[in-house]
Amino acid sequence: MIFKRFNATSALKKTALYDLHIALGGTMVPYAGYSMPVKYAKQTHIESHLWTRKHAGLFDVSHMMQSTLKGPEAVKFLHKITPTDFSSLPAGQGTLSVLLNEQGGVVDDTLITKVNDNTFSIVTNAGCVDQDTKFLREQISDFDCEWNPVQGKSLLALQGPEAPSVLGHLIKDGVSGLQTLYFGQKRAFQLAEGVTVDVARSGYTGEDGFEISVDNARALEFAQKLLDNSAVAAIGLAARDSLRLEAGMCLYGHELTEKITPIEASLAWLVSKTRRDGSLGKFNGWDRIMDQVNNKSAPVTRVGFKYLGKGPAARHESPIFLEDGATLVGHVSSGSASPSLGGLNIGQAYVKKGVHKKGTKLLVGVRNKKFPIEVVRMPFVPTHYYK
Amino acid sequence: MLRISTRTLLRSTPRLFLRAQSSNALTKTQLPFTFSSAGPSAVKYTSQHEWIATHQDGTAFVGITKYAADALGDATYVELPEVDAELEAGDSIGSVESVKSASEVYSPLAGTVVDVNEALNESPQLINEDPMGQGWIAKLKINNPADVDGEELMTLEQYEKSLKEDH
Repeated sequence: MIFKRFNATSALKKTALYDLHIALGGTMVPYAGYSMPVKYAKQTHIESHLWTRKHAGLFDVSHMMQSTLKGPEAVKFLHKITPTDFSSLPAGQGTLSVLLNEQGGVVDDTLITKVNDNTFSIVTNAGCVDQDTKFLREQISDFDCEWNPVQGKSLLALQGPEAPSVLGHLIKDGVSGLQTLYFGQKRAFQLAEGVTVDVARSGYTGEDGFEISVDNARALEFAQKLLDNSAVAAIGLAARDSLRLEAGMCLYGHELTEKITPIEASLAWLVSKTRRDGSLGKFNGWDRIMDQVNNKSAPVTRVGFKYLGKGPAARHESPIFLEDGATLVGHVSSGSASPSLGGLNIGQAYVKKGVHKKGTKLLVGVRNKKFPIEVVRMPFVPTHYYK
Repeated sequence: MLRISTRTLLRSTPRLFLRAQSSNALTKTQLPFTFSSAGPSAVKYTSQHEWIATHQDGTAFVGITKYAADALGDATYVELPEVDAELEAGDSIGSVESVKSASEVYSPLAGTVVDVNEALNESPQLINEDPMGQGWIAKLKINNPADVDGEELMTLEQYEKSLKEDH
């Protein structure tokens, strides 16, 4: 068997929690320019995945880029580069969105929170830092607003059904303080010792949970306090990916690329109804995207699928065929065995319009064999957002 | 396809542990060992982490090492070869899947597949629990029993030494 090795670890960046990862026996791998834990010694990948669904998992996601957009034309700018209505979004509320290039393709997916009418906080993907920075700097030049990466902050995700009680015990307001923080909302909370953290009720697992921005200087102590609770286990990138796959969420570079529109990605809900008549400004790729919205003309669609039998999991770029085994109708974007579904092979794929409907039976090619699959609705497991 | 750096794995495993436990040795209570009453005539290792246990009659068992199984993590599916498949040394004999990765397994020697470990279809986790015994992948009739002495294959001692040097 061939092991893929990574070298040049010396050039990798470290998050503020790097020493903690090592102390917990993290298997460190290069990821988006950082040395990040793929799993920890205490649990296998599957154990850590199931732990998060049942208890609470702590993820270091400090490699993601946190940034701020400020200025009188911040909304106008966001209305050019995203299809989302940020004028009617209440302060303190965040929303998933996508950064659109001029062709309507996705430069990155992002979580944007309105601080006030002129200020937004933005989280984007670690792996897209260079393209995002270039894109935003180019696009912003005609607008009266400033975009700047946030320095010196760590980002921790606490996910799973026990996350609210775990975090509640560490903030001054207690567990009840989180009861009015609903999915997508973000607020500052005081930790017992007077340290302030920004808490967003969001995540990438399909579970209830939080993404917490904390000063680097306080990050290690805060993470250790979370881990002191027996409900919490540190969880690595491997489970982060299998959890998001089950939740039907997109991974940039797999489900989303600069060539794919949000409509093709089955993310039409990201195009706010109030943006569709153009009165709030036409976003990048307007003609192509609105044609796909109005005329259902997207040539391909993102779907979920499951295997009907056993077999090796379909992976990124595995071909998908009609049941005749000869007519190519799509490609897999992500796939693996699903820990929550007892190892059933699942995946996400782009298939041609017409074979995208729930219940459609197709074949997926893995190496030299073809395996029967069926198009299913996503998410693959029920989500538990606090709404 | 394995996304785990062997280097980090080694660093996080205390050396004493590696030395004290011959974890990559064949399990003495399972078929790859007990197939003949005297045990295998040779057990050899590849640099790609397969093991092969050959017996006097030219039968051989193939699997992946404990080291490889640990590095892969939870096996979710094991792809087995076809019985009667004729293999050259280095041909694919199947693959071991974890949630995160798929890793090809290669035949250490030329031969014909005479049996596969069907138990892995229902219990792929045998690859993790006992990779050097119950988790054997295929049973071969090897073409030339003398091949097992070839320079390509390592003894247990050489294999474990190669793991330590793999920095």
